[in-house]
Amino acid sequence: MAAAPTTDTVTISINDVEIEVPKGELIVDAVKRLGLEIPIFCYHSRMKPVGMCRMCLVEVGFKQPDGSVRKMPKPQAGCTLPASEGMAVYTDTELVHKDRRGVLEFLLINHPLDCPICDRGGECPLQNNTLFYGPSTSRFIELKRHLPKAFPLSRYVTLDLERCIQCGRCVRFTEEISGDAQLAFRFRGANMQPTSFQLTEFESKFSGNVIEICPVGALTSTKYRFRARPWDLETKPAICTVCSNGCSVWFDYRVGKFVRLNGRVNEAVNEEWTCDRGKFGHDFYNSPKRLLAPALRKEDALRTANWAEAYAAILEAFEPGGNAVAALTGPMVSNESYYLLQKLFRGVFRSNNLDHRWTRHLSAASDRLESKMGMPTVATSIEAFEHKSAVLAIGTSLADEEPILFLRLRKAWFKNGTKVVVACDRDTDADSFAHLVLRYRPGTEMALAGGLLAAAVESGRATVPDPVREDLKRYSPSAAASATGVPEDRIREAADILGPNAAIVTTHRLLDVADAQGTLEYLAGLAMCLRAEFNLYALGANDQGALELGIHPELLPSGVALADAEAAAEVGRTMGIEIPREPGLGTHELLRACADGRIKALWLVGCDPFALHADRDLVQRALEGVEFLVVQDIVETEATSYASVILPMLGPAEQDGTYTNMERRVQRLRQVIPDAGDAKPAWRIFAEAMLRAQPQTPFFSAEEIMEEIARVAPAFEVARYDRLGHEGTRL
Amino acid sequence: MSELIQIGGMNERPKPPRPEDLSLRFSDRAIRELEALETHYPERKACILPALWIAQREYGGYLSGEALAEVAFRLDRSYAEIEGVATFYSMYNTAHPVGRHMIEVCTCLTCQICGAYPIAEYLKEKLGVGFGETTSDGVFTLHEVECLDACDRAPLIQVGDEYYGPVDKAYLDNLLDRLRSEAASSVVKLADEIVQVHLRETERDR
Ligand code: SF4
Ligand code: FES
Ligand code: FES
Repeated sequence: MAAAPTTDTVTISINDVEIEVPKGELIVDAVKRLGLEIPIFCYHSRMKPVGMCRMCLVEVGFKQPDGSVRKMPKPQAGCTLPASEGMAVYTDTELVHKDRRGVLEFLLINHPLDCPICDRGGECPLQNNTLFYGPSTSRFIELKRHLPKAFPLSRYVTLDLERCIQCGRCVRFTEEISGDAQLAFRFRGANMQPTSFQLTEFESKFSGNVIEICPVGALTSTKYRFRARPWDLETKPAICTVCSNGCSVWFDYRVGKFVRLNGRVNEAVNEEWTCDRGKFGHDFYNSPKRLLAPALRKEDALRTANWAEAYAAILEAFEPGGNAVAALTGPMVSNESYYLLQKLFRGVFRSNNLDHRWTRHLSAASDRLESKMGMPTVATSIEAFEHKSAVLAIGTSLADEEPILFLRLRKAWFKNGTKVVVACDRDTDADSFAHLVLRYRPGTEMALAGGLLAAAVESGRATVPDPVREDLKRYSPSAAASATGVPEDRIREAADILGPNAAIVTTHRLLDVADAQGTLEYLAGLAMCLRAEFNLYALGANDQGALELGIHPELLPSGVALADAEAAAEVGRTMGIEIPREPGLGTHELLRACADGRIKALWLVGCDPFALHADRDLVQRALEGVEFLVVQDIVETEATSYASVILPMLGPAEQDGTYTNMERRVQRLRQVIPDAGDAKPAWRIFAEAMLRAQPQTPFFSAEEIMEEIARVAPAFEVARYDRLGHEGTRL
Repeated sequence: MSELIQIGGMNERPKPPRPEDLSLRFSDRAIRELEALETHYPERKACILPALWIAQREYGGYLSGEALAEVAFRLDRSYAEIEGVATFYSMYNTAHPVGRHMIEVCTCLTCQICGAYPIAEYLKEKLGVGFGETTSDGVFTLHEVECLDACDRAPLIQVGDEYYGPVDKAYLDNLLDRLRSEAASSVVKLADEIVQVHLRETERDR
């Protein structure tokens, strides 16, 4: 593989084969260009090399003018050695083999060799390196050291100290990648232990990653410990559906049951990391509360029924259609299912009463910004953050809400010096690397956003129309400072940092604050004036897909407004249905309408309003008030006890489908584990209901639905299954 | 790591202290010294070692968890990092509280040949403690150390910032009596000496 022409290259020889490599490339990486491998433990390509384990020793010399090679007297660590002109590397000499045997023998002296009961057995770099490079026998007859075998480091991570080979990967991960620096080596020499401060809880939000990067079985997953032998596991690529980042993962399962989740490389999204919420958040697949068969309320009890009975009851109850019926959805439903749900509602039930939003302000959602200001609400890809010169994260704790974006932003700061301004009303993890922290009083988001815009206008860097300039008077930086409690000079400095290569980031969490609409408009305005990018990111796994595909009372698939009669009719024609003209109700109105009996039948798709809606009381009145309640979900929730009909739905990894993450990347998740019980994919439930209501050719697969989506919402053209890239594709 | 759970059991650990819960104990003088030190280096990370000496002095010779947390807080580093550094070096007392005087007996080659072991045995018997232990009255802690780089004075012991040697039993009887009557802690004094070495002439304040 030739090096990219733009980088400086040097010519080195590896085992006497000459090769050109980028200048400064580490020897461990350079040898891969020839298909060779240098065994490693401590080196990890996403972290700085430290040369701690000595596994990667190679012989190195330099070409002399007379053509001979003069070797350095001692072997060198390939992971810390940058390639330079004329370097001659030997990976296969007698000395190198002897060194490797020596290093491994040394490591194995202190290693307990309890491989038969080790979670890592079979996928253990220590086993592998020993097999290929190690001594075949042991000379060690002394007593082994003994150390804690099951030290509970955090909720998720259990440390087996005897197995640790002191490579420092875990410590470096917390320092360099997650940034919480919660692990460190205590003591030294043979006593060195990677532990937390005073053995307190290892509180990282990304702690699960250390389990994967540990090259031995020292850091183990508390949930997975002793549950399986790695060679018993089957694995398939999947994506995580716990939050909107949509990380690529390996989904490991055993006899059809989910066992564990590991990070999968996707340079565009998660690189190879996962967050704890995702990595350990898939227990619902094995939940004892899984819904496995449809149930129908007869008299006062829910009784198991078959699908035909369930459909019949539902179609009868939803027959009145129009304003009398409604559906609310949760975030973990595929694009195909969302699309079909809205087609069922609009086409069969003649109703626009559909919503996926659970935030306090609905009208403030992205759609208004798009139409009012012409500002896209999702502009920056996760990957692009690495090259931003400045980022303003406002009203969000990124590590909690967009964890993988948080890691990317931290990397941008760590590697490229991106200046990050963190504005939030509470401490966030991003404060630790923020260039500026703007801690405003809760509820003063709008004043701060206005103040930032005003500061940009005052400094002459932004021009706004006169009415806006007038309006901004109330938020002059000094006024904003007194309203928010953020010092005035900080507001000005923050505004100064932002520029054309900046991005403003906020999440749907901002829609819960008092003046959400105004705040968003100021922020979008600020981005617009400075030619920066503005992003209002979704939080749920497929919230973005729900929005794009018309799970919305006023928006149709492709973002076409219902109010735009002509365009709406056109969308209807492509879908082959007639779009009802009357706009539907948003979540809150809709629940109120259920509570006072205006809505007779409500369909909940993968959502528990009790968990998602802020007003418990309203939810309760709504679920009690509505005559007929369909609860379609994966597991039993609080809402299921109110149901008239329960429809069991398959989880994301049990069906084929695509999901749209917060950066509008559509990724496909193929079926990994078999169907659970009688549950069906959501889209199939909608397709079968449609078929029963109106004879037609049903959709037989998710792929067919995507074909139709691509016709209705042309942005999804790139998401057709035959086109969808390996890393997913952004719309 | 004494209260180890082997198998089963919930992974529940005490939480690390939150910054607002720390009871900070650095004196004004210590804070001034730390501020001066910060001007010596481009990064605060570089101040960790001298800051730990300040803490060892301020906390009476023992770097407890609170002391380490205070250093971390004042230097804006993670707790774990500070503990990692402190536990790496043997002159920071992180394992357990120490007595007023720490008697460090060199048992390395030269001292050994010149009778370090009988000296050590004598001290153990006289103080009633073993290596690494502190007398019940909290006056003496006994330690075994490697070569102190004063072999010409073997057998040698170190107490605080002073070397004594060659020592014999009579000498030790005397020394112990004298040390016992000294109210000031030589452990703290040693820490202070080292802090002063880190400071510039103009920054020292005594
Ligand atoms: S626990 Fe694992 S990753 Fe951490 S130092 Fe030990 S061997 Fe390396
Ligand atoms: S991989 Fe090079 S020293 Fe560990
Ligand atoms: S097999 Fe257990 S540490 Fe490798």
